[in-house]
Amino acid sequence: MTINPQVYSIVVNEESLPDKSVIIKEGSGGDWIYVILEGRVKIKKQTSKGLLTIETLTEGDFIGVMEFLKQSKVPRLTSAIADGPVLVGTLDTEQLKRDWESQPLRLKKLISSLMQNLEDAIKNFVDLAEASK
Amino acid sequence: MKTEGKIPPVARLQYVSGDLIIKEGDFGLSIYEIISGKVGIFVDSSGTEIQVATLGPGMIIGEMSFLAGTSSPRSASARALEDCCLEAWHPNMITTAYKQMPTILGLITGKSLKSLVRMNKMVSGFSSKKRRAEVEQIQESSQPWSSKRSFYRKEFDKECVYRPVNSPKNLKLFGRIKDISRGGMQMVAKTSNSLDYSHVPGDEFLVSVYLKPGQQVNMTAKIVKLQKGETSGTISMGMTFTHMTQEDQKRLGFFLMP
Repeated sequence: MTINPQVYSIVVNEESLPDKSVIIKEGSGGDWIYVILEGRVKIKKQTSKGLLTIETLTEGDFIGVMEFLKQSKVPRLTSAIADGPVLVGTLDTEQLKRDWESQPLRLKKLISSLMQNLEDAIKNFVDLAEASK
Repeated sequence: MKTEGKIPPVARLQYVSGDLIIKEGDFGLSIYEIISGKVGIFVDSSGTEIQVATLGPGMIIGEMSFLAGTSSPRSASARALEDCCLEAWHPNMITTAYKQMPTILGLITGKSLKSLVRMNKMVSGFSSKKRRAEVEQIQESSQPWSSKRSFYRKEFDKECVYRPVNSPKNLKLFGRIKDISRGGMQMVAKTSNSLDYSHVPGDEFLVSVYLKPGQQVNMTAKIVKLQKGETSGTISMGMTFTHMTQEDQKRLGFFLMP
């Protein structure tokens, strides 16, 4: 898969990371968004039973979107950990912010609601996993 | 702009508790913003509605079909959990803006939508599996109180107080017991009770009822069957008793005597 050229055009930094590198740590601050340029990344959440894998992302997928679109200093909901060697690109957050802010209010509400629903679904899934035997 | 003239005005709609706002599988593109009240999002799992989210004021309903495109049916149902007011948007209000959105925002939205669909499936699958296991456990239980609904059922209509096990002692939820036997009972409660406290098969509650003046009976009962009540805004729960003291068993026994 090739990375969309318009996405690639706002990559401000590329970083090669070895297997099991922590790209984003759950509970930490920051609103960077990353795009996976090569390799795979596991999205994990800490539970009472250990780390639970929520999703495996691949080339072209984004990391750290929910926190960015919330536009508030919320801690990261999940961790992003390299599953094998990966190449990630850091996106130009200022450009993204400008793009986001220029959207009509109703469209922003709609997308923010989608992100909130995704966050709730992840929390719901983790609760169910913790409650299971 | 030409298109602006074609967009109908925003409509405000009122729903009462229990009303279906969106039905899973239907085709529709309207988007709703919750102005007041709470709305439950439900996904069908083998014929049973599994609640995957509770939304409140400021949240949007119906955005998934809009984002997925015209050919996609509604991926979940939305039902009013209490009386609520919604603002209905015609999709044309944002279609142009959505199409003109920068590519990267479109890609981020599309990938998030896919993740949400996947997560909702995982949540409903997990809930469904958990519920089946709990019902099976109840059915297989050797406790004499768990499978005795074949006993004589006495119909009556009494208010009862109940709360989930492990909830604060001062919590009081109200329901009405419609019939009772040695093994279990049929209880009706307002849908709003399930807003903050789970009411799904397998959930266990401490129930207290006066069978007659001065004859209070306390028991622990578990939901084995859940359906919409006959009255709007209510749920009907088929429950089996999982614990009752010997003294209360005697009181119930006398009460059930013809």
